[in-house]
Amino acid sequence: AFGFLQRKFLGNKTIDTNDLESVLDKLRQKLVSKNVAPEVADYLTEQVSRDLVGSKTANWTSVENTARESLSRTLTKILTPGVSVDLLHDIQGKLSHKDKDGKKQPYVFSVVGVNGVGKSTNLSKLAFWLLQNKLKVLIVACDTFRSGAVEQLRVHVENLAQLTDESHVRGSKNRRGKSGNDSVELFEAGYGGSDLVTKIAKQAIKYAHDQDFDIVLMDTAGRRHNDPTLMSPLKAFAEQAKPDKIIMVGEALVGTDSVQQAKNFNDAFGKVRNLDFFIISKCDTVGEMLGTMVNMVYATGIPILFVGVGQTYTDLRTLSVSWAVNTLMS
Amino acid sequence: MVLANLGKRINGAVNNALSNTQDDYATSVDIMLKAIVTALLESDVNIALVSKLRGNIRNKLLDKSAKGNRSMTNAQTKKLIHKTVFEELCDLVDAKETQVFQPKKKKTNVIMFVGLQGSGKTTSCTKLAVYYSKRGFKVGLVCADTFRAGAFDQLKQNAIKARIPFYGSYTETDPAKVAAEGVAKFKKEKFEIIIVDTSGRHRQEEALFQEMIEISHVVKPNQTIMVLDASIGQAAEQQSKAFKESSDFGAIILTKMDGHAKGGGAISAVAATKTPIIFIGTGEHIHDFEKFSPKSFVSKLLGIGDFEGLMEQ
Ligand SMILES: Nc1nc2c(ncn2[C@@H]2O[C@H](COP(=O)(O)OP(=O)(O)OP(=O)(O)O)[C@@H](O)[C@H]2O)c(=O)[nH]1
Ligand SMILES: Nc1nc2c(ncn2[C@@H]2O[C@H](COP(=O)(O)OP(=O)(O)OP(=O)(O)O)[C@@H](O)[C@H]2O)c(=O)[nH]1
Ligand SMILES: [Mg+2]
Ligand SMILES: [Mg+2]
Repeated sequence: AFGFLQRKFLGNKTIDTNDLESVLDKLRQKLVSKNVAPEVADYLTEQVSRDLVGSKTANWTSVENTARESLSRTLTKILTPGVSVDLLHDIQGKLSHKDKDGKKQPYVFSVVGVNGVGKSTNLSKLAFWLLQNKLKVLIVACDTFRSGAVEQLRVHVENLAQLTDESHVRGSKNRRGKSGNDSVELFEAGYGGSDLVTKIAKQAIKYAHDQDFDIVLMDTAGRRHNDPTLMSPLKAFAEQAKPDKIIMVGEALVGTDSVQQAKNFNDAFGKVRNLDFFIISKCDTVGEMLGTMVNMVYATGIPILFVGVGQTYTDLRTLSVSWAVNTLMS
Repeated sequence: MVLANLGKRINGAVNNALSNTQDDYATSVDIMLKAIVTALLESDVNIALVSKLRGNIRNKLLDKSAKGNRSMTNAQTKKLIHKTVFEELCDLVDAKETQVFQPKKKKTNVIMFVGLQGSGKTTSCTKLAVYYSKRGFKVGLVCADTFRAGAFDQLKQNAIKARIPFYGSYTETDPAKVAAEGVAKFKKEKFEIIIVDTSGRHRQEEALFQEMIEISHVVKPNQTIMVLDASIGQAAEQQSKAFKESSDFGAIILTKMDGHAKGGGAISAVAATKTPIIFIGTGEHIHDFEKFSPKSFVSKLLGIGDFEGLMEQ
């Protein structure tokens, strides 16, 4: 009995593949139950195996705990961005360059993703965050397809105008005759096809430059990542609008398809352009099942800028990697 | 489409098991089951369901074989395996006990939509309205989503395009009130089907579920439909169970089936709530809408050719 104890609990044991098999099986199941795609769970547990086979367990540590620690490290490594996500710094950098007329080029974002994931809502949350940082924001309705898409953004602009200025009267026009106020405004040209989309995008950027906006936020229509006729206009759009940052919104509810969604959107902009960030939305709807974020980052290596945790403007958070890893491991 | 290559993979696993001459039958079955389990998990079927399914198939196969595997030809074994897998999958998507609601002409039938945020409720409301309208019903749409920005405009634009009468409010913030007004108005005008769209919600926020219950109390739906996105993963079971408890929905509409998603999460929701899928959404346009039949769904997902004639036995 003592020998058993020693083997299992007292540590200092050289780990071989047999020791790991059932432990890794258990961890794999746990990951899948947390909505990590099986192929990603396989990768993660292989990493653990590579990390541990031939090594010794620490004193007082079982193989299982050693494997859990290794998995935590691997998850942490995946979720920790390799590049700086200090956006405000980046934005200030661009805005400090003035052209010969003393004008700046606006910093342009576009938001992309599949249908209904929360692009428009999280774009509005992003606008709120930028407004709080005293930046002037132009919101551009480049979803010219889905019913109500333009009106949806107008409501957000009215809300945001009221939040930045209590005296704003809903529905009133600003001094340029547009929805919103001085800090936040809607740029739209109604509904139409994809030619209209690129036209609006280019006009909006010029307008933002002329009217001294700091930020241009372009909403786009939701699209199926497996439909080339919907995906290919994205490339032309990015080439014309040249956004500084392309953000894909992915929703935490999506299962294994998240891997392919992330890959296809990352590939949609051609060889020279990738996604810059993810926003993972609806994290408040999945409890502990945070696997989607792991899937999307694993598939592309693109970092997470924010996570969406609700339907109001303040429900946008910087991802706490330790929180996510602990939740996935619990 | 959904579970597109699941059938191929299951076939592959079955063929491998049959051509395996080294291991005994039980071992081959286990190897095959492992491959099937992987395929199902990759299609988002709930992990607990998968392990149950594995147990069921194993029992059936080993039980039958115990009686006569020596005399069974490979072809017979293959057929048995296919049939067993087919039946088990059908069991998952087939909510047999439940009676599906059929609207009656010359009466008021109220249908309320519920579901998670962005699942496709508003789009599917109009699709269903068009479906019934084409079949001679007088149909009206009520927008009881007073929360989402632009919700009423969205429903309104869809309804106008589809020529379906609609009701909603830009100023009223209480969804139960708008719902009650809309239903009352259409009832008075002798509409036969009144479809009520509601906001997206999730089980973690109790106030939202409370609101859904309140709307349900005032509109007294004859049928409540939960709309589910085909790409949903492991969260499907918990969410759909919670919706079932609070709204007692009697049918599911599965949306975005034109996507690449495997639909296993949605299948798990059917199994968890014993509620049938009645329609699937196959695109963003009004007519991208099909009736759902579990048998043909499973045949399709398994690759129909290989499974033809199975059910005639
Ligand atoms: N619970 C929760 N809901 C969210 C979150 N983000 C967005 N939503 C909701 O998801 C639904 C869809 O959001 P939209 O912003 O319209 O999604 P979209 O991607 O723009 O949709 P399309 O333009 O139709 O493709 C709305 O009901 C939002 O309120 C989030 O972080 N948490
Ligand atoms: N490709 C595809 N897209 C769909 C389908 N059904 C709905 N959509 C799209 O999914 C997105 C969300 O649909 P909505 O009808 O707004 O979803 P909802 O459930 O009403 O959203 P909330 O009211 O915010 O909770 C829209 O972009 C729709 O066009 C479908 O069957 N296929
Ligand atoms: Mg949108
Ligand atoms: Mg809606």
